[in-house]
Amino acid sequence: MNNDLPVSLLVTAFTGAVMLLLPHISPRRYCFAITVPPGFPASPAGRTSLRRYYSAVVCSIVISAVILLELDHWSGPVLPVVAMLAPTVLGMLAYLFERYHVSQVAPRPDPVRVVELSSDDDRLPRWIALVLPPFAFPIATAAWLRARWNQIPARFPIHWNGHDIADRFADKTPRAVYGPLLFCVGMMLVLILMTLAMFYGSRRGRQRTAIVKMMVATIYFIAALFSVIATLPIAPFPPSMVLIPGLLFPALLLIWVIRIVRDPGMPVDQTPDGCWYLGSIYVNAKDPAIFVQRRIGFGYTMNMGNRLAWMFMGGFVAAIVGLVFTLPR
Amino acid sequence: MPPLAKIRIDLNSPVPAYRQIVDALRVLLVDGSLPPASELPSVRRLAMELGIHFNTVGEAYRTLAEEGWLDLRHGRSAKVIARGAQSAASPERLQEFRTQLRNLVAQMRAAGVPRSRIAAELRSMMEGLNP
Repeated sequence: MNNDLPVSLLVTAFTGAVMLLLPHISPRRYCFAITVPPGFPASPAGRTSLRRYYSAVVCSIVISAVILLELDHWSGPVLPVVAMLAPTVLGMLAYLFERYHVSQVAPRPDPVRVVELSSDDDRLPRWIALVLPPFAFPIATAAWLRARWNQIPARFPIHWNGHDIADRFADKTPRAVYGPLLFCVGMMLVLILMTLAMFYGSRRGRQRTAIVKMMVATIYFIAALFSVIATLPIAPFPPSMVLIPGLLFPALLLIWVIRIVRDPGMPVDQTPDGCWYLGSIYVNAKDPAIFVQRRIGFGYTMNMGNRLAWMFMGGFVAAIVGLVFTLPR
Repeated sequence: MPPLAKIRIDLNSPVPAYRQIVDALRVLLVDGSLPPASELPSVRRLAMELGIHFNTVGEAYRTLAEEGWLDLRHGRSAKVIARGAQSAASPERLQEFRTQLRNLVAQMRAAGVPRSRIAAELRSMMEGLNP
């Protein structure tokens, strides 16, 4: 039996589960990324679409598993990858097919816009100041490392394999020691800028507040995680311990997201269905919003018809590339 | 706490969005739903919420500022200002209103609304408007 088989089956099961969950991790007013009236998924047309989609995804998982189990009889490195990708690719095709079907039967969205004439929601909430305390984590860690500079070995590990054995090392230099902290501070600043851009560049609503809260939580998580990582050259605990919060935080975030999107009262962004491509790319030059509510999953996506969105994306990519260079190598 | 004033526009309406915003805001200003010193959303924010171009909202705000309803200072949001007593409309302007009203009444009659209902609607509308 192939040694990679359990991992391959696990990956297939995971991607298949994500595809099965896809209709459930989007706001309820969207069905296959099309705006539908409340209760549409429970209607005969909605139920038929969902049933067809689930059948297609389950079939793709079974096909993928059968190919992986029978792989010993075939040779070549391509087939396992193809088999593992099958639930995602076939699932997406099924999703797009159902999206087209729902768009044919769903009633046209309401062209009426109603807006409250208040400027209260245009100001950042006061609790946004909570993004500042986490900066104390990397600063305190840097001070701690400086005080123990002599305890740091001349050469220390910066990467470990799955068995907690170091496989990459760095020389003791300020960049190698403080690099993760610098990266951390940079990431926190990028997240704050993203939060501000999302707040001011998207329409009002409960989702906007929820996203800002998630960003604040993520900033705390990043600050704590990288502060711990930076202490690893002299820390007395195994590096794999870092993985536990690294997996736990996204899991908690996912539960939070599912709770929010399954709320029937969650309002939706009135973006025209015709401006969405493949259910996830929004292009509308007439819409001044830079960020709009995603239709697959939760959160925001950029309005690619807005020049500011392209500028923001360019700046974001440049910032991330620049930050990667601060890491020890 | 009084309910927040809202405006409503129909993107499929043959009436331009700019005109719909001006008309909707003017009704709220005249009936007192937007009293003096009320702060309106910025041009950028209102455009984003309505999903229309900034210039459309900007033009609507400018029209209302020219009518003496809004104070638009650069870098600040639009504020409702106390409007002094207006001199009586000129005969030409009155004739213009009369024509518009006649057109509207004719549209209502053509749509089958009885005369008594039109009269009642006009009366209740007048009672609802403060000044």
